[in-house]
Amino acid sequence: MLAELINPYHLQVASFILINIILGVSIYITLSTGQLSLANAGFMGIGAYTSALLTLNFDLPIIVGILAGTLMAGLFGIIIGIPTLRLQGVYLAIVTLGFGEVIRVIFVNWESLTKGAVGLSGIPHMGREILKTLKGFGFDPKVFGLQNNQFVFLTIFLLLLVITISIIMFFRRQNRSRVGRAFAAIKLDEKAAESMGINITYYKVLAFAQGALVAGFAGTLFAHVLAYISPADFAYHRAVEILIFAVFGGSEVIWGPVFGALFLTVMPEVLRFISEYRYMIYGLIIIIMMAVRPQGLIDVNILNWIKLKTSKRRQKHGTSSQKSM
Amino acid sequence: MLKVSGISAFYGRIQVLKNIGLEVAEGSIVTILGANGAGKTTTMKTISGLLKPQQGSIEFQGEEVKGLRPDQLLRKGIALVPEGRQILSGMTVLENLEMGAYHRKDNEIDRDIKAIMGRFPILEERQKQLGGTLSGGQQQMLAIARAILSKPKLLLLDEPSMGLAPLVVADIFKIIKEINEAGTTVLLVEQNARQALRISDYGYVLETGKIVAEGSAHELLNDPRIMEAYLGRKSS
Repeated sequence: MLAELINPYHLQVASFILINIILGVSIYITLSTGQLSLANAGFMGIGAYTSALLTLNFDLPIIVGILAGTLMAGLFGIIIGIPTLRLQGVYLAIVTLGFGEVIRVIFVNWESLTKGAVGLSGIPHMGREILKTLKGFGFDPKVFGLQNNQFVFLTIFLLLLVITISIIMFFRRQNRSRVGRAFAAIKLDEKAAESMGINITYYKVLAFAQGALVAGFAGTLFAHVLAYISPADFAYHRAVEILIFAVFGGSEVIWGPVFGALFLTVMPEVLRFISEYRYMIYGLIIIIMMAVRPQGLIDVNILNWIKLKTSKRRQKHGTSSQKSM
Repeated sequence: MLKVSGISAFYGRIQVLKNIGLEVAEGSIVTILGANGAGKTTTMKTISGLLKPQQGSIEFQGEEVKGLRPDQLLRKGIALVPEGRQILSGMTVLENLEMGAYHRKDNEIDRDIKAIMGRFPILEERQKQLGGTLSGGQQQMLAIARAILSKPKLLLLDEPSMGLAPLVVADIFKIIKEINEAGTTVLLVEQNARQALRISDYGYVLETGKIVAEGSAHELLNDPRIMEAYLGRKSS
């Protein structure tokens, strides 16, 4: 019964949705201080390659690779974040986009390490490694009536789901903290924020590094879910894709890019016949959104409206249940 | 309380402040007067740490504070209300006030916010409204209220009367006087010389980056030369 419902293909798509949501969150973090960074595809690549190379060449456990890859991306975030502090708006976007390209070119040309454009294959697969470990303890997925394959993809999906929810919860919490208030003040008016005693250098670099960490983390997950990476995965197209999550979904609230990533990953899968025209549609989306809804689909007003609707429904529910009593 | 001596500041290669020296006694209101481009705002930016002076020293309560960042200076007790009332237009009035107390860690913030709202009833009335929807005078009051919430010892006000209606300007000056009477030292930069001097104890006149005159507010108000040049009316 359960076994028939679990389709590895659907689970794989769902896993990529989750990774894209994490990427959407990564661009949201830097945007919440008003910095538009297009380097997140590059940071994702740094995370993916670091983790893949460590696990491939040194037989390190995946978890070590993921940690190292994430930290490496964060370190690059600080290195890039400090000199670009004085850049704003489109200039920052250009520099960070350039950085992403530099990273990609390094992956392509450092053939002795990265195998160049061919990419790295045979990267340890997260789900299979977990299954192997569990089998070592005498576990068999057949207990749940699942085939190995189904179990592998289900584990990955559930693991990513927990990770994604934790990340969203963390940044929602951070938004309501001192750090979040500082980010919001800097986004609204840097000079005013500075005169209120907010150390804008610190918070801007912090946001940049956090964005890089999260993007790098998504990269490591990507490497160990797909088991194959190549420089093309982290090219200009990826940077634009991440940007579109925020442009389409909105960047005022964290649910904006989350929704953007969800919708724009599902859409090409559901409408197979248009997936070839994906980048044309992305271009159209940017133009239409700029003209009609520059803040993106999901903004504070929409959220309040949804809250109002659900609370009304709850109230109605409450009164009807009272009546029945 | 504040002693600035021999300050020079540059924008690129252009020298904007030339050997500025001024003193603010504890509990007083001191005004810096001057025409556009005289270096008034630059002086304020230098004292509040937004600009780093090339030479000279800034002493606050007997301690050298030159070169500190604005957030460090705020912790020491120097708060700036910048020119053109830079409030956070996308946050509500209440959130703006809370941001003023950003660096504080004590438990009296809520009480202080209530007290401030008592002094500025219009802010209490509009506490849920976005800062950007307030009128100019209300925004200026919000900016001042926000700065007070950082509990400064020295409040720097950069042209608080800029772009406001005469009636509102009178209100603002009344509030500045009240703040001063409550124990905060004030350094004021103004073009509205007559009204500023009326509430001040001491004044400096700045011209193209140099201090050209200084004296008690009373002296300046009665100095025909200054009246003519900076107060916009020939002395009779």
